[in-house]
Amino acid sequence: MSKDKKRIKRRCKKTLDVIITYCILIIVAFIFFFPCLWLILASFSKSGSIYSFDGFFPKEYGLDAFITLFTDTVMYNYQRWFLNTLFIASCSCILGTLLTILTAYCMSRFRFKSRKAMMKTTLVLGMFPSFMGTIAVYLIMTQFHLVNQMWGLILIYSAQAPMGYMVQKGFFDTIPYSIDEAARIDGASNFEIFRKFILPMSKPMLVYTALTSFTWPWSDFILPKMLLQDKNLYTVAVGLMSLGETEFARFAAGSIIIAIPIIILYFCLVKYMINGMSAGAVKE
Amino acid sequence: MKKNLVALITHFCVISGLLISFGALSLVDLSSNEEQSKFTGELEKNVTIRVLENDTAKETGYLKELLDAFNEAYKDYGIEAKDANMDQYTDLETGGPYGYGPDVLYQANDAIMKYVSGRHILPLPIEELECYEHTSSKAFDAYKYKMNDQTYYFGVPVNIQQPLLFYRKDLLPSDWKEKWDKDNNDVPDMVEYWSSLYSYSKEIVDNSSRQKFGYMKSLNDGYFASGYFFSYGGYVFGGEDENDVYDIGFSKNDSYLGGRIIRQLASVMNLECTEDTITRNSYSRLAQGTYFATMTTPDVYSLFIKELTNQYIKEGLSKEEASNKAKENLIVKDVPLLPKSGDLLDQEGPTIKMKVMGGVNGYAISSYTKAPNASLEFVKFATSYSMIKKRAQMLSISPSREDVSKEEGGLNDMIYENLNNGDIYVMPSVRELAQVWTPLQTFCAQLADDVLNNKGKFETDESIKDGLKNVDQQIYDAIHTLNS
Repeated sequence: MSKDKKRIKRRCKKTLDVIITYCILIIVAFIFFFPCLWLILASFSKSGSIYSFDGFFPKEYGLDAFITLFTDTVMYNYQRWFLNTLFIASCSCILGTLLTILTAYCMSRFRFKSRKAMMKTTLVLGMFPSFMGTIAVYLIMTQFHLVNQMWGLILIYSAQAPMGYMVQKGFFDTIPYSIDEAARIDGASNFEIFRKFILPMSKPMLVYTALTSFTWPWSDFILPKMLLQDKNLYTVAVGLMSLGETEFARFAAGSIIIAIPIIILYFCLVKYMINGMSAGAVKE
Repeated sequence: MKKNLVALITHFCVISGLLISFGALSLVDLSSNEEQSKFTGELEKNVTIRVLENDTAKETGYLKELLDAFNEAYKDYGIEAKDANMDQYTDLETGGPYGYGPDVLYQANDAIMKYVSGRHILPLPIEELECYEHTSSKAFDAYKYKMNDQTYYFGVPVNIQQPLLFYRKDLLPSDWKEKWDKDNNDVPDMVEYWSSLYSYSKEIVDNSSRQKFGYMKSLNDGYFASGYFFSYGGYVFGGEDENDVYDIGFSKNDSYLGGRIIRQLASVMNLECTEDTITRNSYSRLAQGTYFATMTTPDVYSLFIKELTNQYIKEGLSKEEASNKAKENLIVKDVPLLPKSGDLLDQEGPTIKMKVMGGVNGYAISSYTKAPNASLEFVKFATSYSMIKKRAQMLSISPSREDVSKEEGGLNDMIYENLNNGDIYVMPSVRELAQVWTPLQTFCAQLADDVLNNKGKFETDESIKDGLKNVDQQIYDAIHTLNS
């Protein structure tokens, strides 16, 4: 009797625990999801102005903001901003991934003078927020005539990407060194070992690195705002900020559209991402 | 021996330093004349001029017409003007020195004149321009800069800006002619006198349980609120040219009466008047009929029309009908008259004209341009009679050219006269103006908040006077601490 009571009590406790956990999760999810929901609804607002809402939500719904976003391009050329952002993010992603992976591989596999010092320096430098150097970056870019050039931005994003090589290095550290030795005995050069053995085994890490290298330029505001002055070169983040006071629905619609590719990418590659993040986290 | 050598080297360094400094200073003295001599009259050939214009000029298609007309007229010289395609508020100081700024820029006088101390813009030979004789000298004064007893002009005026009253004609009471036209001049009292506008606003607020409002404006906005202080003797900077940054005058004369007016106006508004919400929502709220009137500058006229047209379309009218009705019902007029007593409850006493803060928008030429003569030619072309007339018609601006403003008549003529009569206090063209806004904004917000939250801090005239003295002191400290 007492055993049954205990079992029932334990089961009740477990059920209650699950219910409370779910309630908390639902509340937290709602808190995080609500701003997104509000933005989505605002983008479908027919009036366009935030001040015509009935309380918190639009009074009337329509696709007007999305239509204007793609048709009214005299002042705000969203398509061009989108293509600019895609170009900058894609190029930065390719170059940044390449540089990060190579840096991480070098730091993991090779032993050279001041390796430790370099690792420590990059670790310390990585602790400072990147916007600290914006004025210096601007001045340097003016000297290289790279202001108002998309390649200027790509260069900065790509050059800064290897600063966060630690996760990738952690991953390479988990790959047994004996693989390298076996390949070397068979006559493989360092580059061949990297290309033919290490890279195929690093697929999750490559995806993770590529995604993080893509998302930063995709949503960054500070650097493009500082370096791109020609409206035809604006990225979506800078362009949306330049919208007029009465264009809130257009702003919301633009924000929704820019989020779509990144959401799709995340859903498609989430498996690799989790593998990549966990693989680089521990050293076996 | 060693000591002597050190002393000699130090001596040499000091002398060199002094020579370099004085050399540089003498260069500085000369530079304004030298800069002006860049305008030789000989047009540079096969050059492209980048023109920074405002968004409204682009939106309405005026900029395209201007560029096309200029390019057609100067195609034989190989001069081409094109849109700089930058943010309208682009700071020349940031990109200009590195070659990324525009050659010609169109901005407000305070924005343009802040470039003078850094020598980012060129002094212009204004007498050579066709518009010189036809443009108000007061408008040119906004671009005046005195250096070594010589006067230089750094901009060419195009457009006079002043706050105006925007109201919905269809929201007037049907019996306004009987009840709200005490002087029988066919102008509703509520748009002619601040005291009547206050009474009407109070009536609307009381009858709608604070759901609808009469006059609504962000009272914390120093640009618009400063007019109440100016009307009773206050000023920003004193001195002959109103540029003396050691004499700050928001608390001078009877300016406290302006503070009283702000408090009374706040009582018929809501808490949103203490921040910027009303400035942003007035377009849609006026269209919805939640507000009856607001005060703003004429350059945003098209935004009000757009919102009102959309509202009428929602109510079932066709696009054309809605647009016509919006233009018919949205009335823009000069700001109402203030009671001389500084009390909005005083309906019968004498009134005074409200002195408002305004500005003069115009063209300036970047010091970094490679084609100063071609740029000057562009400014000449853009400020010619035909282009200014076109600009006034397409952009609904108030031209600073007398001939155009007289010909256009109505509001244009009225604004031109307001400038000449001194009813527009043109924003001082000094960099220090930037330090004025925050203390003024904070004080105006406090005045409004005091009424709406029954704090009772500024109920007496003495407390308002003290508050204004504090504003002056804060501005003074900000200017002179930052400059020291």
